[in-house]
Amino acid sequence: MGKNELLVDLLNAWEETYKKGQLTFWIFLSLKDGKKYVEEIKNFVEEESNQTMTCESQSLYRNLRKFQHVGVVDFEAGEGNKGPERKYYFLTDLGNSLLDSFTRRNIHLFFNEKIKQLLNKEE
Amino acid sequence: MKHLTRNLINFAIYFSVGTIVFRYGLSHSLDSRLFLQVYVIAVVYFFYNFGIGWYFGKKDYELLPLYDIGFRFHLATFLLYNSITEAWNYFGFLSQFESAKTNRYIAFFWGIFLLFHFLLYLYSRKNTIKGINKSEIFE
Repeated sequence: MGKNELLVDLLNAWEETYKKGQLTFWIFLSLKDGKKYVEEIKNFVEEESNQTMTCESQSLYRNLRKFQHVGVVDFEAGEGNKGPERKYYFLTDLGNSLLDSFTRRNIHLFFNEKIKQLLNKEE
Repeated sequence: MKHLTRNLINFAIYFSVGTIVFRYGLSHSLDSRLFLQVYVIAVVYFFYNFGIGWYFGKKDYELLPLYDIGFRFHLATFLLYNSITEAWNYFGFLSQFESAKTNRYIAFFWGIFLLFHFLLYLYSRKNTIKGINKSEIFE
């Protein structure tokens, strides 16, 4: 196995593990951007993650049902495009607080000067 | 909290119909002294309940993964089976070979088992938030 081939294999394996649990973060980000129905959430996640995150609508519905049940997401009915009413999802106050706390504890540390320098350091 | 889900209600309806048919078949077969038929009816009733429990339980979990170690379905089964049996007795449909006393003993011992299941259910809820396993909420 060549070095490049090994790099791709390792990168894929790492990303596969890394992405587990990331869908929640992307869903929350998309809802922080504004109320959305499932297809819009899906498009947001895929576009804003540069297609590194993909998700099935069924998987989104399942996650949104769980989030709604625990009270971090809710929805309101809105007009569909010539079809039945759509569910427009949004973050509740609890959901916004959760995202803020999560971001402060897990994302902001990447903006630390030392970490930024390390990430930009040339070998 | 959504404890009484659509799938649990559907299960309860199918279970009630199955139990009424079973009760009728059982009492009728006993009165007619068709004892072999009683075994067949009991086995069919077992597999029928296993099937609907499996089907609606799986659907329920897929819709919303409430981690209740099967307690809600067990409770529904207990309440419906014993209510139907009591009603069967009240309206005088029991066969001459059945006794209300035996049915109440069954309900009593089943109730003890249900109580243990309830305690186990309460214990299992320690790892959940609003009924969903903590490790499954954000997976």
